[in-house]
Amino acid sequence: MHAPSSVPTLAVSARGVVKRFGELTAVNEVEIEIPRGVCYGLLGPNGAGKTTLSKMIAAVLPRDGGELKVLGLDPWTEQSEVKARLGVVMQGDVFDEDLDVGRNLEIYGRFYGLSGPAFREKVQGLLKFVSLEGRERGPVQALSGGMRRRLMIARALINDPEVLILDEPTTGLDPQVRHAIWGTLRQLKQRGLSILLTTHYMEEAAQLADRIGILFKGKLIAEDTPEKLIAAHLPPWVLEFDAQGQEALLEEFAQAASVERHGDRAFVFHAVEDTLRRWIAKGAFRTALVRPASLEDVFLKLTGRTLDE
Amino acid sequence: MSDAAVRRAPGRIVRVLAVWYRHWRVYSNTFVANATPAVLEPTFLLVAVGLGLGRFIHQEFNGLEYSSFMAAGVLGSTCMYTASFESTYGAFIRLRYQKAYEGMLATPLTRADIFAGELLWCGSKGLLFSTIVCLVLALFGKVHTPWAVLVPAIGFFTSLLFGGLGFCVTSCVQNINHFQFYFTIGLTPLILFSGLMFPVQDLPYGLEYVAYALPMFHVIETFRLVVSGPAHSSVPWAWACPFVVLGLAGAFGTLGVRRMVGRLKA
Ligand SMILES: Nc1ncnc2c1ncn2[C@@H]1O[C@H](COP(=O)(O)OP(=O)(O)OP(=O)(O)O)[C@@H](O)[C@H]1O
Ligand SMILES: [Mg+2]
Repeated sequence: MHAPSSVPTLAVSARGVVKRFGELTAVNEVEIEIPRGVCYGLLGPNGAGKTTLSKMIAAVLPRDGGELKVLGLDPWTEQSEVKARLGVVMQGDVFDEDLDVGRNLEIYGRFYGLSGPAFREKVQGLLKFVSLEGRERGPVQALSGGMRRRLMIARALINDPEVLILDEPTTGLDPQVRHAIWGTLRQLKQRGLSILLTTHYMEEAAQLADRIGILFKGKLIAEDTPEKLIAAHLPPWVLEFDAQGQEALLEEFAQAASVERHGDRAFVFHAVEDTLRRWIAKGAFRTALVRPASLEDVFLKLTGRTLDE
Repeated sequence: MSDAAVRRAPGRIVRVLAVWYRHWRVYSNTFVANATPAVLEPTFLLVAVGLGLGRFIHQEFNGLEYSSFMAAGVLGSTCMYTASFESTYGAFIRLRYQKAYEGMLATPLTRADIFAGELLWCGSKGLLFSTIVCLVLALFGKVHTPWAVLVPAIGFFTSLLFGGLGFCVTSCVQNINHFQFYFTIGLTPLILFSGLMFPVQDLPYGLEYVAYALPMFHVIETFRLVVSGPAHSSVPWAWACPFVVLGLAGAFGTLGVRRMVGRLKA
């Protein structure tokens, strides 16, 4: 549907993008490039500026500085043209509470200039795609959290977008629904959509994202493929255990390996799996395990100090 | 994908009309519940005050018996209240509690489209209600000239005026209860001192000149021109009133939309 040959080749490109709210710089000189067809995962702790950045890209919020292009267009000065080609799933469900499920899609279509019998058929197709057929004439208030998110996704697809912006699409959903939504997103990715996916679930990012950026206090502090991100910041293996009462041992490990502590859990990173397995025998650990280093470890390492400060 | 297949945003007019259509869809769902009080209230006013109280008033106002004198004011107040509620409570609730605008903003709609569409909807409601009230008035024999066919248009522009004014208020208000100040301090005096109940020439202490400065005076005189005829105007320059209404509708409408755009940006 969207051949890569079409110009421009970047779905999103940001250079030095800044957003301030009064004294606070919510997004601080961020550089991002999302090539077409790529799923870009945006991670970051609460308040890092993910939603603010997404909204600027979604042409919903003006920026205070820097250069931002979406599909080669300026999302503020050419906002209608940009928004005509985007699909947005916002954090929190913002539906038109005065309209029923079907009308929420139909009326939204009109904002893109879509109406008529062919479009109504498409609405039916979308409701089916997100397993909401039969709910059409019901109020949106009667939908469960998972159904509402699926309706949001259906609404975001109404204009056959080239770029999808998803802000925490699966937060608060049960594992089944989450997997169903991941399946949906994978299908969309195969169709060639470019996706900006903001999430707090590392597994979600690891499963869907081709590239990952970590936003911290408005700054993009790391960016790469999931594998390279892990390789660049941590040894490949980690020994994880309950840190309470293990201070002496932790000091000893710290001589030969890098040690991180988050809450009551201790994480000892090392290049050699067998070494860590031998170390397990050293202490009477509760709930100890050796596993490959994960995206979550990188995330905690790079952003984990916030709560101590 | 070839460039020809790139989805283009619809033009401004289509976007604004789409917003209008959204309001119409919501409204038509509950048409009877919404329209009944809006029509009954002026009818009661006419029956109770105009025909009831009017029986004790033997004096003629502007050469009209009392209930006929009131007809123009009933039309004006209908439009004023309809547009004011829509642009204050209605807009505030959509902004604050329902977040309807937030979802709309993710589509090709700009902030200006959203509020222009909403103002257009205010105007349409005024058009509809003034038409219905005019029919009620005609039923009671209070419509004296064929120029009354212009009532819907006057209702439309009057509602743009008060819709714009309401937007200006909404753009400053943080707490929904504060609209009560606007309604009691801002709008109620307009009803009392703009020639709805009695001619402004009869106001003491030169207050009549204050009345001339109020938009509602010009609205009521405009309605009176087409419902009762120019012979019954309060002032010899009543012919200028429609132009004042048009001008104020344009000015307040534009200002109101701008103010709301500014508010939604924050
Ligand atoms: N409209 C606003 N006015 C003032 N401050 C704001 C506004 N929106 C966001 N902020 C502030 O900007 C910072 C970034 O907020 P943002 O919502 O982008 O964070 P986030 O990364 O999406 O967080 P979360 O993971 O909790 O959703 C926060 O400190 C927030 O308080
Ligand atoms: Mg957020």
